[in-house]
Amino acid sequence: MSGIMYLARSSDPKVLEKAESGGAVTSLLRFLLETGKVDGVVTAKARNGNRYAGVPVLITEPEELIDSAGSLHCSIPNIPRFVKEYLDGAMKMKLAVVGKPCDIRALIELQKREQIDLDNLILIGLNCTGTISPTTAKQMFIDEFKVNPNEVIREDIDEGKLLVMLEDGTTKSLDLMKLEEKGYGRRENCRRCEINIPIFADLACGKWGTEDEEERATFIEACSDKGRLLVEEAIERGFITAERPDKKSIKKREEKDNAEKELAELWKERDFKPILDLDLSKRLEYWLNEFNKCIKCYGCRDACPICFCDHCLLEASRGFLEGGEIPPDTVFPLTRLAHVADSCVNCGQCQDACPMDLPLSKLFSLLNARLNEVFGYMPGIDVDQKQPLSAVIMEELQVEDTFLDISSINKALQSKSSKRD
Amino acid sequence: MKTEQVEKRGSAKTHEDIFEPKIIAFLCNWCSYAGADLAGTSRIQYSPIVHSVRVSCSSRVDPTYVIKALMMGADGVLIAGCHPGECHYKSGNLLTRRRFMMLKTLLETIGIEPDRLRLEWISASEANKFASVVDDFVKQIKKLGPNEMGEQ
Ligand code: SF4
Ligand code: SF4
Ligand code: SF4
Ligand code: FES
Repeated sequence: MSGIMYLARSSDPKVLEKAESGGAVTSLLRFLLETGKVDGVVTAKARNGNRYAGVPVLITEPEELIDSAGSLHCSIPNIPRFVKEYLDGAMKMKLAVVGKPCDIRALIELQKREQIDLDNLILIGLNCTGTISPTTAKQMFIDEFKVNPNEVIREDIDEGKLLVMLEDGTTKSLDLMKLEEKGYGRRENCRRCEINIPIFADLACGKWGTEDEEERATFIEACSDKGRLLVEEAIERGFITAERPDKKSIKKREEKDNAEKELAELWKERDFKPILDLDLSKRLEYWLNEFNKCIKCYGCRDACPICFCDHCLLEASRGFLEGGEIPPDTVFPLTRLAHVADSCVNCGQCQDACPMDLPLSKLFSLLNARLNEVFGYMPGIDVDQKQPLSAVIMEELQVEDTFLDISSINKALQSKSSKRD
Repeated sequence: MKTEQVEKRGSAKTHEDIFEPKIIAFLCNWCSYAGADLAGTSRIQYSPIVHSVRVSCSSRVDPTYVIKALMMGADGVLIAGCHPGECHYKSGNLLTRRRFMMLKTLLETIGIEPDRLRLEWISASEANKFASVVDDFVKQIKKLGPNEMGEQ
C-alpha cells in the first residue's frame, strides 16, 4: 500500500536557496515548531561548520533550523541512540525526528522494546542511498577527487556517481562503483542496504521523482495519517506549496529505488559469499581471528541502538565474563550477536565505533539476513510485528517440531482469517 | 599446532569409540529432569557422559549459555523441555524453540556445526525417550568429532 504523494516546495525563499531539493522538510519542521505541535526537532547538524563531524541536535528555535538544512553524506550521527539516551526516549516531550531509513527503523525497534514513546514522535524519513565514513571521505577527496576536503560544501550520490560541490561553485563527480572497488565510497553496510525510501516513517521525503521539475521540489510520501495531516496543515497555513506528482515522476522514483536495490543485492553477494563459501572450520577460524582483535572497549554495544539493556550481561559485575580480560572471551561478541542479530537494522554504528576495525556489521547483517528467512521478520518496518525471539503465536502450541516452519504457519493463519472475512 | 590439531581430529575420527564427547544438557525441572530421573530409577541404560544442568524452565536458558558451553569446549548441547502446550509457564518452551532456531543459524554462520545443538521435548514420564535421545545424540556427536573450540 502506498501513501499519498506530493511534490512540495518551501514557501520561504531563504530556505529554497539553501535546500538541495524543494526545502519542504525544513519548512515542515518550522511549521511544527512555530505552531507548538512539537517541543523540538531532532536532526543532524555539522558541528562548528565541519561537515565531517555531523552530530545529532535538538532544535527548539525555528531560526536555527536553517543551519541544519541540506544532507551530510560524510557524517554518521547516531539519531536513535540520541533520542533514547539524551532525550529520555521522548517520554515527556513531543519531537519531530529527521532520519535516514536505518535511523527510523532503529526507533521503531526501540518502540517495540518500550524504550521510547512513538506517540510523541513524528518520524520524518529521508531517502538514502548511503553515507560515507568521515575519514574515508576526507582521504578520498584528497586522493581521488584531488580537492581539499575543507572546501567541499555539498555531496550527492545519484545514478551511480558521487558528486562534490566546492566553495567556488565548481563540481566534480566520479563513478561510485569504481571508488568503492578501491575501498573508498560508502560504508559497507550502506552498500548492502536495500531500503532506500523509508515508507515506514510518517513521511518519506527525497529528491527521487523530481528530476524533471523546472523548479526544484521535494517528493513526499505521506505514509500515515499523522504524516498526511502534517502536510495538509502546512499547506493550508502557507508554509509549503504542493501538487500531486504525475505518473512519470512516481515511476522515476520507483525505478531509482529498484536500481539501488539491485546494486545492494550485488554487494550482499560480494560480501557474504566468500564467507559462506568457506567450510565451517575455516569460517570459524576467520571469525575467531577477527574476535581476537577486540579490546573490549564496549564501543559496539554502546553505539548499537538495539543494545538497550540497563544491566548488560557483558558487564563484569554480572559475573558472566571475567573483568579486565583482553581480548575478551569469544562469548563477548557472540552474546551481543545472539541478543541483537534478529533485530539488527544494519545501521553500521557498531562497525563505525570499533577502534579495531572488526567487520561487525558484516557479521550482524549476514546473520540477520539468514534469520529473516527463518522467521519471516524484517526489523524496524512494522511496529506491530513483535521481534521474533520474544513473541510467539498461540498456533505454535499445536506444533511438535523443534524447528518451526514459520512461513507455512503464517500461510495457514492467513487463509484462516481470509475465510472468516 | 595446526598439524597437531589435524592429527588429533583425524585420529578421533578413526577411533570414534575412543572419543568421549562432553555433552551439556539443560533440562527443565518440570519434565525432562524428572524424565532423566525416572530413567535412572528405572535402570534404563543410557550414555553416562552427559552433564545435566537443571533449569526452572527451558526458557531459562539464555542463548549465550549455549554459546558459552560450546566455546568452553563442550562437544554438544542438549536442551530438553516440556512438550508444546505443557510448559508450566505456558509459552516458555515456545520461546526456547525460537531461540533454538536462532542459535542453529548463528552457529552455522560463525562456523560451528549446528548439529552440536539439539532441542527435544521430553515429559516426566518419558524415561525411554530420554535415554534414546541421549544415546542418539551421543552417536551424532561422535560422528561429528570433537569440537574445535575444545582443542585450543
Ligand atoms: S548490530 Fe550494528 S548494524 Fe546492527 S543495529 Fe546494532 S549497531 Fe546497527
Ligand atoms: S549485549 Fe545483550 S545484554 Fe548487553 S546490552 Fe546488548 S542486548 Fe543487552
Ligand atoms: S567496538 Fe570493537 S574493540 Fe570495542 S568492544 Fe566492540 S568489537 Fe571489541
Ligand atoms: S516448564 Fe518445562 S519447558 Fe517451560
